[in-house]
Amino acid sequence: MTEETNTKAFITSRRSLLLGVGAAGGAALAAGMSGAQAAENNGEQVTDAPLSDKMLEQQPFHGQYQSGIVTPRPAAGMIASFRVLANTPADVERLFRTLSERIAFLMKGGTPPALDDKLPPADNGILGPIVLPDNLTMTVSLGASFFDQRDWLLPHKPARLSRMKAFTNDALDQSLCYGDLSLQISSNTPDTNIHALRDILKNLPDLMVLRWKQEGSVPVLPRSPDGTHQSARNFLGFRDGSANPDASSTALMDRIVWVQGIGDEPVWARNGTYQAVRIIRNFVERWDRTPLGEQERIIGRLKPTGAPFGGHHETQVPDYPKDPEGTVTPLDAHIRLANNRTEAAEANLILRRPFNYSNGVSKSGQLEQGLLFICYQADLEKGFIAVQTKLNGEPLEEYIKPIGGGFFFTLPGVVDANDFLGRTLLEAAGHTPTNSKS
Amino acid sequence: MKLRAYLAASVFAVTAVIAPRAANAEVSPLDLVGPIAEYKIFIGENLEKLVTETKAFTDAIKAGDLEKAKKLYAPTRMNYEIVEPVAELFSDLDGSIDSRADDHEKAEKDPGFTGFHRLEYGLFSQNSTEGLNEFADKLQADVVELHKRITELTFPPEKVVGGAAALMEEVAATKISGEEDRYSHTDLWDFKANFDGSRKIFDLVRPLIEKDDAAFVTKVSGNFDTVDKTLSKYKTAEGYELYDKLTDDDRTVLAAAVNTLAEDLSTLRGKLGLN
Repeated sequence: MTEETNTKAFITSRRSLLLGVGAAGGAALAAGMSGAQAAENNGEQVTDAPLSDKMLEQQPFHGQYQSGIVTPRPAAGMIASFRVLANTPADVERLFRTLSERIAFLMKGGTPPALDDKLPPADNGILGPIVLPDNLTMTVSLGASFFDQRDWLLPHKPARLSRMKAFTNDALDQSLCYGDLSLQISSNTPDTNIHALRDILKNLPDLMVLRWKQEGSVPVLPRSPDGTHQSARNFLGFRDGSANPDASSTALMDRIVWVQGIGDEPVWARNGTYQAVRIIRNFVERWDRTPLGEQERIIGRLKPTGAPFGGHHETQVPDYPKDPEGTVTPLDAHIRLANNRTEAAEANLILRRPFNYSNGVSKSGQLEQGLLFICYQADLEKGFIAVQTKLNGEPLEEYIKPIGGGFFFTLPGVVDANDFLGRTLLEAAGHTPTNSKS
Repeated sequence: MKLRAYLAASVFAVTAVIAPRAANAEVSPLDLVGPIAEYKIFIGENLEKLVTETKAFTDAIKAGDLEKAKKLYAPTRMNYEIVEPVAELFSDLDGSIDSRADDHEKAEKDPGFTGFHRLEYGLFSQNSTEGLNEFADKLQADVVELHKRITELTFPPEKVVGGAAALMEEVAATKISGEEDRYSHTDLWDFKANFDGSRKIFDLVRPLIEKDDAAFVTKVSGNFDTVDKTLSKYKTAEGYELYDKLTDDDRTVLAAAVNTLAEDLSTLRGKLGLN
């Protein structure tokens, strides 16, 4: 049997198995039993692992673009930022090749090699002896400092890549900012992301040093009966990403997300994209004490549906020309400032892929939580920087405080088994990959 | 769950390459006798220095000579840091000699907070020798007791060999950040002693692995050299610069070297056939 048919067989049986459990649960409820009793009757133990039918979901590692950009956002995400110690072309090649090998393995899954038990195990084992893909993507991007600190790479720096400057409402904690390399890790579960991060740390200790990381999650929804999809909610309780461009449209993504490698952009950067990361603290206690109407006026949408004022669905486009005074949607509402729906604003579109984060308690006893904002765009200046500049001074600022993040350039994809991340950059810099396996 | 494991295993049967392999060429327990004996001598010498220098350090405190006591703090500690893999076998003494304020519920004010860092707190943070006599006496008594116990100890080979990595784990987990000597900021002295202590162990067993694993030996030596080179930038006539002089770039270089040494040295026991 091929791996693919095997996978299908697995998923089918898993699904039927789960349906069986679901039916039993339904019957138990119908019979008026409490959930706890039902669990007891099913013979489940307190410490049984929760079940998922998504563990074999897999995203492709090979392709024109890296996965994790237009890939539908799963429930768990993370950004990890590193200092990179690889300085010579040979070391940078080893970094890129090792990253490619590890990511290829982790995204596909498999059995790590068994070593002598007198040695530390090859794999951290938190997913068990067999690593399942669980919809994992790992997306590698480079910060401006990666180019600035290496003379031989400096002439090849992507044209729009810069060090993130503080915007007016920012209170940046330097220990949560920038980095030579960012890894966006996302999958169905936080454990799969952590497994992957620990694998990378173990395999590249001499070339990468972790600087900061932020994990996040996305609230899951039950499947809707009519198959429609809705944007997930952020920690302000609003649907986030309602106006995101359609990631399944190649034409739109070519215009909005993918760097074409023409004009002043280096050719090697074709099929890459710019990644903007922002750790935006939300003052949720204060937000929860704000009248609903005011919350909605600040955002510019109705909270229950996400629809614009006067609308019924989140995907409806607000009619601003009919509302020049802002009597329907205030002129300084978040969504109106970010995208006023004019033709000019089309140039500033970005693809958002954020996660919510929750870290603990502040010194003042308030919740440290907010948005791990991530977006992708073909032009960082016309994209995130322009949009955030339009938002400077918005009423929402009372409730949010950006404290970290950075700008990165996401490398083009790895096209096949002979390719590796960053190959086009190394070749552009005059380095012929040496230890090619082919 | 069984069903899941079975199916998953079959799915990945194609990619599963289970290749158990021996850790390394056979090293007989007898081969380790020489290195361990030599290590015991090394530890003995350093412990004698620890006892003598702690005496001078604590005498200075008791004489109320603040400047002298401050000056002796970091070099005296180095003798402890270098023998830490063995000293740590006695957790009661390790606690009373080398615990940090955060190990205690009431931090600096906790009566259980004794040893080097309690004295460091008094000397550097409160800038006084006042009230330190009892802690000075206790430290001196503790290091004498440590010397006695270690002299009577049969060194377990796996603890000695594992000590090379353990020292790196210490640096990686709680020292690279500069939180160890938080009042005196003499962390680089500690680093030096930890690295020297780790390298000593590595050098002693090196002949046993060099023939079969030359690449490993070269890589580990290279990383120790990187550390030495980086730390030597901060050498002064008396010892080392304060931690805050350490640049972000050099801290990163040290962190990478420490992490890599910790990874590589974690295989040392296995390579020598030890559990």
